[in-house]
Amino acid sequence: MAEQDIVNLVNGVFMESFEIPGEKLVPEAKIFTDLGLDSLDIVDLVVALQKKFGVTMRDDERVRAIRTLEDIYNFIQILKQENRK
Amino acid sequence: MRFLKIAYLNLAFYAAFFAFSLAAIPALTLFMVLCALVFPRRYVMKRLRRVISWWGWVVIHLYVLSFSLVQIKHEGIVKRDAKGPFIFVCNHRSVSDAFYMALLPLEVVQVVNVWPFRIPILGIVAKLAGYISLWETPFEEFAAKTSQLLRDGVSIVAFPEGTRSRDQLVGQFHSAIFRVALETKIPIVPLCITGSENIPPIGSLLLRPGCIRIRQLTPIAWEEYGHMNPYTLKNHMRQIIIDETAVMEK
Repeated sequence: MAEQDIVNLVNGVFMESFEIPGEKLVPEAKIFTDLGLDSLDIVDLVVALQKKFGVTMRDDERVRAIRTLEDIYNFIQILKQENRK
Repeated sequence: MRFLKIAYLNLAFYAAFFAFSLAAIPALTLFMVLCALVFPRRYVMKRLRRVISWWGWVVIHLYVLSFSLVQIKHEGIVKRDAKGPFIFVCNHRSVSDAFYMALLPLEVVQVVNVWPFRIPILGIVAKLAGYISLWETPFEEFAAKTSQLLRDGVSIVAFPEGTRSRDQLVGQFHSAIFRVALETKIPIVPLCITGSENIPPIGSLLLRPGCIRIRQLTPIAWEEYGHMNPYTLKNHMRQIIIDETAVMEK
């Protein structure tokens, strides 16, 4: 999956599930402080991303290190590559 | 000269606060113990929560009395016979904000940070009254406790920022209480507080003169917010409070 496709799909999840306007979805946006998600919203986000990309991330420790939107793009990219192997 | 006046007023307030608390807390404790011996638990809890409200009411009026420069103005506060329960959501600027909830004439439980439970005596009383520490309670347990309270007719007061604002801006909201609202379909009531940021400021116990305004907005029924998800609901409520506090501070 191309990098831009991942960006578009992740942004789509934020727009559909959280109704966040597209202009706020810049790679450096901090998920907690800029976008205003909390720990419970993160659970909803993980569920939506799993569904969208067909990956499993709920019990993945690396989720804890995610801070920005760009971290999510990169993490999904890594998961996709791992799934391909 | 001004500093001396503030120091004098603080001394007057804290002297009155401790004198009142030293006299009232043992008397009220005895009253509650006697109630517990005679009446069923639900009645006792109701009394205990009213007793906490009385105590808070006296404390906030103590600093109105001892502080000639402090005013408390409140608008739109629900009437005693209001058909509750409600979920009150409030912006948070000062440690004193929790005391203003004593103005609500309903049986309420507050969702608080960890530190109020660590205050000697008051922390124990808060725990006994069923106050909930959001940070120490897993969400499932939090939802179960608050839902049960609401079913019992007890209103919930929450400060969804989770901590006091350091810059008078309204911080990001946590969604826990809004998830409970969506589940229980209880009306949500925004409460806006301005002017409390220096009474006392963060990191200090020194109360400064000022005017505290508390404005209760119209309850928002489930029919109006039920179509939202928790994230959009919390941000919708946050925006209402941001807009109203801006109007209040003009």
